[in-house]
Amino acid sequence: MAAADVATLGEFEHVVLLAILRLGDQAYAVTIRDEILERTGRDVSRGSIYITLDRLETKGYLRSRLADPTPERGGRAKRYYTLRPRAVDALKESRRALVALWRGLEGVLA
Amino acid sequence: MKAGLPRGVDATLRRLLPGDLAEPIAGDLLEEYLDAVARRGTVRALVWVWWQAIRLAAIFRWERASHGRGVPPIAEELRRVTSMWDGLRQDVVFSVRLLRREPGFASVALLALALGIGGSTAIFSVVDAALWRPLPYARADRIMSLAEQRPREGRWFGPIAPADFFDWRRDNQSFTALAAYTSHPLGNPLAYNLTGTGDPERVRVLEASPAFLGILGISPIVGRDFRPEEETVGRHRVALLADSLWRRRFGADPSIVGRPISFDGAAYEVIGLLPARLWWPGAPEVIVPLALSDSDRALRDAHFLEAIGRLRDGVSEQQARDDLRLIGVRLAAAFPAENARHAPNVRTLRDALVGDVRTALLILLGAVVFVMLIACANVATLLLARAAGRQRELSVRRAVGATRGRVVQQMLTESVVIALAGGAAGLLLAAWCLAAFRAIVPAQFAGLPGIAGVALDGRALVAALALSTITGLAFGVVPALTVTDQRLGSSLTDEGRGGTGGARAGRLRSTLVVAELALSLVLLAGAALLIVSFRNLMSVPPGFQPSRIVTAQVTVPASRYTDHTRTTAFFDALYERLRAAPGVERVAATTSLPFAGADSRLAFQIENRTADSPTPVRVHPRLVSPGYFSTMGIPVVRGRAFTDHDDASSVEVVVINEAAARRYWPGEDPIGQRISLGTPGRWRQIVGIVGDTRHEGLDADTDPAAYLPQHQRLTNLGTGFERAMTIVVRTDADPAAMTAAVRGAVASLDAQVPIGMVRAMTDLIDESVAPRRLDFMLVSAFASVALVLTAAGLYGVMAYVVAQRTREIGVRMALGATRAQVLALMFRQAGALTAVGVALGVGGALVLTRAMRTLLFGVSAADPVVFASVSSLLIVVAAAAVAVPSSRATRIDPLAALRE
Repeated sequence: MAAADVATLGEFEHVVLLAILRLGDQAYAVTIRDEILERTGRDVSRGSIYITLDRLETKGYLRSRLADPTPERGGRAKRYYTLRPRAVDALKESRRALVALWRGLEGVLA
Repeated sequence: MKAGLPRGVDATLRRLLPGDLAEPIAGDLLEEYLDAVARRGTVRALVWVWWQAIRLAAIFRWERASHGRGVPPIAEELRRVTSMWDGLRQDVVFSVRLLRREPGFASVALLALALGIGGSTAIFSVVDAALWRPLPYARADRIMSLAEQRPREGRWFGPIAPADFFDWRRDNQSFTALAAYTSHPLGNPLAYNLTGTGDPERVRVLEASPAFLGILGISPIVGRDFRPEEETVGRHRVALLADSLWRRRFGADPSIVGRPISFDGAAYEVIGLLPARLWWPGAPEVIVPLALSDSDRALRDAHFLEAIGRLRDGVSEQQARDDLRLIGVRLAAAFPAENARHAPNVRTLRDALVGDVRTALLILLGAVVFVMLIACANVATLLLARAAGRQRELSVRRAVGATRGRVVQQMLTESVVIALAGGAAGLLLAAWCLAAFRAIVPAQFAGLPGIAGVALDGRALVAALALSTITGLAFGVVPALTVTDQRLGSSLTDEGRGGTGGARAGRLRSTLVVAELALSLVLLAGAALLIVSFRNLMSVPPGFQPSRIVTAQVTVPASRYTDHTRTTAFFDALYERLRAAPGVERVAATTSLPFAGADSRLAFQIENRTADSPTPVRVHPRLVSPGYFSTMGIPVVRGRAFTDHDDASSVEVVVINEAAARRYWPGEDPIGQRISLGTPGRWRQIVGIVGDTRHEGLDADTDPAAYLPQHQRLTNLGTGFERAMTIVVRTDADPAAMTAAVRGAVASLDAQVPIGMVRAMTDLIDESVAPRRLDFMLVSAFASVALVLTAAGLYGVMAYVVAQRTREIGVRMALGATRAQVLALMFRQAGALTAVGVALGVGGALVLTRAMRTLLFGVSAADPVVFASVSSLLIVVAAAAVAVPSSRATRIDPLAALRE
């Protein structure tokens, strides 16, 4: 099951994990969505961000923690996400697979 | 303001989202919500945040539940909402299944509702287009229609004299602009001969002041609008083409702009093209400037203009009216001879366009709403009877724990399902009705805005949907509440014993039937009054013999027929040729044919009589050829008709009608007296009196008229009066054959002269009564539907009563009651209902038919014969509806009934 999970990281899951990685300790739903928008130009719905985060956490790729409530959010906590080692492995594996498949095709798409 | 999510959003998230997610998601949303408030405003942010909250909640519950993970239990109140929703779905499915099991009930209910909703929707669409929708002009409510009123003659919106118009235009303070246009009846529009490329043809023309389009807020799509100086004679040969003519005649070629085209033999420069959306009564194909000669501009006693104006900002309709009234007072003082008896009048353009048709339309809408109400009452009685039959099912539901609300919900769902299905069928019916209506739009309606394109649209769909839902609830709620309002135990036991379903339900059924009877009677009375009016109208003698008369308008172009001699020579030659055509008995012509629209009136003086008459001394001047009276079959009552000798070289003569003789020479012999029409001091001798003819319609008064021989021209009847003649031919041939004969005769004389439509005189009369015929046919159709529905309702109620009282009747018969006695028992019950219904209906009809007084002809709105007949009709139909179930009651076998 775990090995299969590593091999089948979905495209959007891939994107979300990379965004979290880039954001370091500042990754929560709003910043993740902004990061994706900024880097890729994709305006993804909030629903799919939350669903994907929930799913990735269930699969054991993400760890989340509730930060202390802040007044500007009406006293509500943020849920910050960080990658578990499994996620880093899965990203590496995805990248390796993609790079391997891409090799030699640069000319085709240039 | 304390930062926070809107009330409700927070609660929704907390209740619907898994606890571990609700908190951070609410925080995230708040962050973005505050941002959205700052950037997009509170309202849009609010809509956005609600949408997000609902979406997120839905997505999460779906996602987690479909992966088998726990979702938070939903709070009690939300559970009720969702379970109600689930219940509703169940109810809909159940209702559809029930209806399919009872095709008889379903089809009767559907048919009743389809007729009610379909009729209402169709009539609503027509009324909406004509009365309620804004006119297709910029700020249309600021456009006023101006007219001259003659209070003493009871005429409130008559045509305007040119000199008056120009004075109003110069002196008023209320309008940004005024524009005049020549007044023509819709059925007989002003037309020019368009020659040049292709066959000569008549095109409908609107002659309007240069400000006309600007007042409507419309500008040409190509080219330019008129310039102010183009209303002067000599500068006026410019034309704006309507989209239809441009496409039909000029192949949509935009380069036509700037080129000359030929109207009535004169060259006009096309200066622009009008947008296709431009709508004006009569659908003019060309607009040209209204250019009046200096002498025409000075006329105060010839009324042939209409006018519109746009109110200045801040000026009310009443202020404009007051403003013009003062100008009118001043003009009356300055020109007492011409202006003492009339004054300016103002109303909105919409009122001017819709005019008298408003009453007819609203009567139709009222009638169809009655049909709708009857259909509702009908379906409600059906539902009541059906619900009573389902008492046991409902009691069982209650017994196993359904709340009363739940049962009511289920029953309401059923009625709304029926209503929506009926509404869908009704929409089909309405679409079909409107298609039929568009095909036969009667002439009287043709001038209404939006009528030509009337169709089901968003507004009608919304109206139909709302109507269906409301009726569904309306006819469902009372039965639902009634049948569920019984103590549980009693209804479970009642049912077995075969009672009549409770006193309350019985009373309700009676009330509904009485309501149906009363509403039907009102409709029947309305329909009967219209039918009697129509019959009275059709029996009015027109004053001439319309059968076997064929008519055709022939207008010779002013450019080549410049003088009177030339014009009359053309027509004389035309009469000769036509007399030689096969099947032709007599030929004549007139400038104003009966039933072809109104004609103008002219003041005149009577020799040796002071002008100070209490009534206005005015006649319709009609130029006719010799032989006109004998051709039309108008009797010469005294004196003589015109002969060929009444020409320019002989003494000037005139023939008046009986109405003129009665009004201006009461108790005197007018023959031999002299009158002066138009030109003062130029006397014409009265040589004959002819019978009156109905001119503007069978219901119109016979106004005084003066007939003048065609060869003795009247100088001041306005330009071109004698160049447009309507040929009348008495013939055995049919109009189609005559078309070719007239066309051939005209073409052989002058190929550049087109002819108008060749029409049978009887068709013209038929057309004049077409709107009334439509009124009475529609209202009669509604009344028939109402009668059938009411009969069905009464039948249903009595059938139900008989079924419920089988046991009682059995006992009565076992104890020796005869069949006649049983029958009498049933009829007593039905008779009481009918009597109350008819009495209420007569009362209601007496009040409501007064609103139709203007539509009636020769019959009082409270005509006792009409009311007695429709009451009897309703009673007979009611008796027939009751007879079938009642006679069934008399055939009950007492033994079988008792064993039940």
